[in-house]
Amino acid sequence: MELNPKYPTPKWGGHRPPLQWAIKTVGAVCDRALVIATIVTLCITATPAAAQAPAAGLFPAYTAPRAIDGKPNLNGIWQAFITANWDVEAHPAQAGPHPEIMGVWGAGPGGQSIVEGGVIPYKPEALAKKKENLEKRTAVKATNDPHRYDTGDPELQCYRPGVPRANYMPFPFQIFQTPLEILMVYEYKGAVRTIYMDPHREAPTDSWMGWSNGHWEGDTLVVDVTALNDHTWFDRAGNYHSDALHVVERYTPISPYHLKYEATIEDPNVFTRPWKISFPLYRRVEENVQLVEFNCVPFVEELMYGPLGLYKPPSR
Amino acid sequence: MFKRTLVASGAVALAIAIALCAPVLVRAQAPSGTATFKATVTDTATAIKDAAEAAKAAAAAASNWTPPRTPWGDPDLQGFYLSLSYTPLERPPELAGKAFYTEAEALAAFKKAVEEDAEVDPRTVHYDWKEYGMDAWQSPVRPNLRTSLVVDPADGRIPALTPEAQKRRAAARARNPQVSVQTLDNLYTRCITGNQGPPRLPFNHDSESQILQTPGYVVLILQSNNDVRIIPLDGRPHLPQNVGLWLGDARGHWEANTLVVETTNFHHERNWRGSSDGMKLTERFTLVDPKTIRYEFTVDDPATWVRPWSVESVLPRIEPPLYEFACHEQNYGLMNVVKGAQVREAEAAARKK
Repeated sequence: MELNPKYPTPKWGGHRPPLQWAIKTVGAVCDRALVIATIVTLCITATPAAAQAPAAGLFPAYTAPRAIDGKPNLNGIWQAFITANWDVEAHPAQAGPHPEIMGVWGAGPGGQSIVEGGVIPYKPEALAKKKENLEKRTAVKATNDPHRYDTGDPELQCYRPGVPRANYMPFPFQIFQTPLEILMVYEYKGAVRTIYMDPHREAPTDSWMGWSNGHWEGDTLVVDVTALNDHTWFDRAGNYHSDALHVVERYTPISPYHLKYEATIEDPNVFTRPWKISFPLYRRVEENVQLVEFNCVPFVEELMYGPLGLYKPPSR
Repeated sequence: MFKRTLVASGAVALAIAIALCAPVLVRAQAPSGTATFKATVTDTATAIKDAAEAAKAAAAAASNWTPPRTPWGDPDLQGFYLSLSYTPLERPPELAGKAFYTEAEALAAFKKAVEEDAEVDPRTVHYDWKEYGMDAWQSPVRPNLRTSLVVDPADGRIPALTPEAQKRRAAARARNPQVSVQTLDNLYTRCITGNQGPPRLPFNHDSESQILQTPGYVVLILQSNNDVRIIPLDGRPHLPQNVGLWLGDARGHWEANTLVVETTNFHHERNWRGSSDGMKLTERFTLVDPKTIRYEFTVDDPATWVRPWSVESVLPRIEPPLYEFACHEQNYGLMNVVKGAQVREAEAAARKK
């Protein structure tokens, strides 16, 4: 069950938290329904456990507030605060392209791996391709051949990020949960995906954001993502996959303000075995917080169409 | 044959239409959960007959109908809806002074549009629309008593542009706007937004949409460009005015069973039919029967039009789901449009010499 030693099964290292105490005390004298009702009430009203900050990386046992159908309520605006969008593996801080004009603005932060075991298990030939991607990551070649996607990082050209990358872009996303469908709207590009809970639906064809069917395992939302095309990357470092990619995501509430995100990534064309990533998603709690449209298409038009002579009006 | 059906349904349909202050001849044809239209019908006469029969069923369904509620008490508009109509946005000059058709005229106009839609000109056709089920009449489009979608001003025409707006438009047209991506003002061709506004006007493809609700929010997901409009219902203020957004900043509230959405903060380069970034859009979504949303909007932009104007149309319910619309990802259509315009402009310049 433990995917990442950074986020072990919840343990409580300090004083017994009031929430756990309340659960135990109430549980001793009441039936199960009342216990759940009490937990929910506590979570909604007082959240006493949250008021007492746990030690880093450790969370007390937590039961999320319920949605109308009795499932954990994941509604809200969430954001990862990791640097995996630069590289899902461990990486030092580094200058970006064109430091002569971009300075610190273009530079990337250092960070630790989100991959279980640290390293992606590439096949040897696939590792060579990853290195080639890294070399060519800033390449842009707009073409009117609809089958050509052999250029650099899709993010650079404002393409949809795919899954799981959408979840660790440095932008928030919002979950809208209904019993039948769960909608995820990403601030980056306004990318959107629907997770079909009931009924599950079959993918009509491959797509950038893939096709998601979900179910609940206890308090964990498990999402099976298939039909992803082979145009997206995992990060700016050229980590990639083929169209055989299969992602199984797990979203587990671990506090009123955190979801634990885990994903198993499988692609027999590129990797020697399935591998796992995990990181926390943080709830955005500012008053009136909302997604602020990041429509990046206008930001890349000159980059993409300028070299073809299509961006600026030709001089007469 | 459909004339007789129409007469039979006429009295009821008209009574309902007046009661709802929405003179739409036909709303929808069947209770929730059944097919909305017969996708396999390829015969225009049959399709028109179906539309007329749908009027009768809709009138019966709507007569004693109240919209459902979500578990938390909001009117429940959730589902999938299409924005498509044969009714022109502005009233044609030959119909000046005539806001409404009679029912017989409405059906005749509908029939004419259907038949034109089904005609294939071998010189221009790229697809056989009928074969692929893409004629509008194979969707839940229904006859409409209105002669224009514009309902205010009373002449059914969009008001005149202000002098300021005329100057803006002239400046934008000073040279062929298609000759570069930078000057091309069609945001849909550039994949900056889809073809569904805001506000929404009927469009002959990819005008499907979904409404999804959670406590405190309504989300409108548009098939075209997969544009998403998140509409908070908690009364929060708009973003500061300097934050311009291509889809605007939406805030919603309920007035009885109607969702009212006020959208401001439009991007200064957006230019919807010549609009300025000061445009204020007010939309009203009302589920008037199990299968139809009445959709009204008012555009208020004193820098562009001499007075506000309003539109009323219907969004019939359709079957799920929506699909990914990855528009910008390899937008070779844009490259070809701009390159083609450049070639044509160069040819024109050469002829002048």
